[in-house]
Amino acid sequence: MVSDTQEGGILTRSFRAMGSDCEFQLCFGGGSDSQFIFKCLQDELERLESKYSRFRKDSLLSQINLGKEVNIDNETISLLEHAFNCFEQSEGLFDVTAGRLNSLWDFKKKKVPSQEEISYALSVTDFSKVSWNNGILSMPAGMNVDFGGIVKEYAADTLAVLAKKFGVQYGLINLGGDIAIVGNKPDGIAWKVGITDPRGTETEIASIDIYSGGLATSGDYKRYFIYEGKRYSHILNPKTGFPCAGLRAVSVAANLCTVAGSIATIAMLKDEPEAIKWLNDLGVPFVAMDSNLSMLRNSD
Amino acid sequence: MIALSTTALALPGIALSDAPPSQSIASYKISNYSEDDIERSESPFGDLERYDIDVHQFKLISPIGRNFSFSLDANHETMSGASPWYTSSDVNGDPIVALSGASGIYDERSEVSFSTSYYLDQGTVSGTAGYSEENDYRAIYYALGGSRNFNNELTTLSFGYSYSSDEIFPTDAKRFNRVKHERKNSKSGVVSVSQIISQNSTYQVSLNISEQSGFLSDPYKLKDVRPSDKTQIAVTNSYRHFFEDSNSALHINYRYYHDDFGISSHVVDSSWHQNFGRSLRVVPSIRYYTQSAANFFTNIDDFAKPESQYQSSDYRLSAFGALSGGIDFVFNYGRWSTIFSAERYVANDRFAGHTVNKASTALVRFNRFSIGFEYIF
Repeated sequence: MVSDTQEGGILTRSFRAMGSDCEFQLCFGGGSDSQFIFKCLQDELERLESKYSRFRKDSLLSQINLGKEVNIDNETISLLEHAFNCFEQSEGLFDVTAGRLNSLWDFKKKKVPSQEEISYALSVTDFSKVSWNNGILSMPAGMNVDFGGIVKEYAADTLAVLAKKFGVQYGLINLGGDIAIVGNKPDGIAWKVGITDPRGTETEIASIDIYSGGLATSGDYKRYFIYEGKRYSHILNPKTGFPCAGLRAVSVAANLCTVAGSIATIAMLKDEPEAIKWLNDLGVPFVAMDSNLSMLRNSD
Repeated sequence: MIALSTTALALPGIALSDAPPSQSIASYKISNYSEDDIERSESPFGDLERYDIDVHQFKLISPIGRNFSFSLDANHETMSGASPWYTSSDVNGDPIVALSGASGIYDERSEVSFSTSYYLDQGTVSGTAGYSEENDYRAIYYALGGSRNFNNELTTLSFGYSYSSDEIFPTDAKRFNRVKHERKNSKSGVVSVSQIISQNSTYQVSLNISEQSGFLSDPYKLKDVRPSDKTQIAVTNSYRHFFEDSNSALHINYRYYHDDFGISSHVVDSSWHQNFGRSLRVVPSIRYYTQSAANFFTNIDDFAKPESQYQSSDYRLSAFGALSGGIDFVFNYGRWSTIFSAERYVANDRFAGHTVNKASTALVRFNRFSIGFEYIF
């Protein structure tokens, strides 16, 4: 379902893609064909989704996860390089090879997997065992790659760059809360990006002002379950195989949505005090909700 | 954050290859440069009024297609006033200066240049050609340059070469026994490296070597004989730091210069760019300059000296120091921006960091005011 609205020179298109509610809010220059540009941006998003979705059987990622040696292009190599950088920066916490682990924890059946299942998933989770030389990717049998926390953010940045190339004056690309800013607003007023309550009340609990770059949020939004009185989020620690017990949610602003997304994901994977210290050390603007449901911001 | 940004910035959808400006920019600026009158004690006879210059500058930059940009620069200057003509000594043997004739000088200069740049994936190639004309001077010049990004676009190497061919044909040549027609050629090469140190700071160092040959003297001075070759070398360092919390930036530059006339100089300048929201930026700046004298500088012209021996009383070849300070106000509103600038410059031999054996009596002090407009479309 696609819907367009217009307000104050900004055209908004809302639709669903990558399993999320998406929105383009763009101010077009005089004479530009907004419908054509919207279509090109959606086509690009569809290209990335059909290439990197782990839910689509014909995607490149599904080919990779079948365990065959696959020829990969420069874009995929660059994504792997970035994922590997995140892996190293987070000392192994942010691991895109945790695909098995992610599919093991079934948030619909609300059941904790057995220790045997977790042990197997952990045995096929280790990014350092993946190689991509001469454009050929090879990884141990049974390993699964999941680009969650990277591809949607990368798509937001890509669409923002593309929109600028099409002459869009300024605006915002929002892919399910992963946001990239296009150009500079002429009034100089920041984009106020609302942060939704991770408890699922649909209310705004805070906001971050951003002028450029991007913002990304990681949290156990709706995707968690309570089993025998204990809360299990979908953010899984690739070292223990169990959900993390750190922050409930964190939103981060950075020079790129991709960078913001990587930081937010790593922060969720760390222990709570360590995560807050790390975020403050990075010096990025952030809003976090801790396990006691208190709001934390970057210390000024 | 830099650590995570390096690989993210290399992603193909994001990696911003060097791109031409996405919009066209037209700007127009009017400046007035006005030298203080010379002191009666420095020039006992004649007019005291020195140079006054009005400058009009127009610039247009426009993208052409996906990979080219084009720019046009046009300047017009009108100069009036007087400049030092000769130096002598007073009854005590102290140097004094006489300014050029009571009617003074009136000159106009027009200049136009075209540049084009071609944007590659990881760099640019550009060329410039220009022409400048005055009543008594004509210059044709061209420049070629290129830049290449490395290291995930954190490092940029730039290089350039320029050549200028100038002709000098002084007015009233016969009446004042001046040279009639002379030539001067200049060649210059530059190499620079810019490095992004962190998200908020950059550093640039550049080396510039230039060589001038031909008629390098001042034809309007009664006695001015300079070598016909000059080699110059300059090393410039620039550091920029952006402070996110206060939305401001610090610029610090240092340049060392040396030429084979014997002049060495140091310049340090610094400016603070303070933004107030997006609509106003205030930029106070300060600059200190010091130079040594040219080997053949004199503050009292020696008319008995043979023409084969070098000498000049040009204050720009003396040892001196200079302090200047200025402030810019930049207002942005929608597609328009306006800039107001004011600067005060004072040169004095007492400010010199170098040894002053012979102080010039004709050092300048000037004010410069300008107003400029810029429109993006």
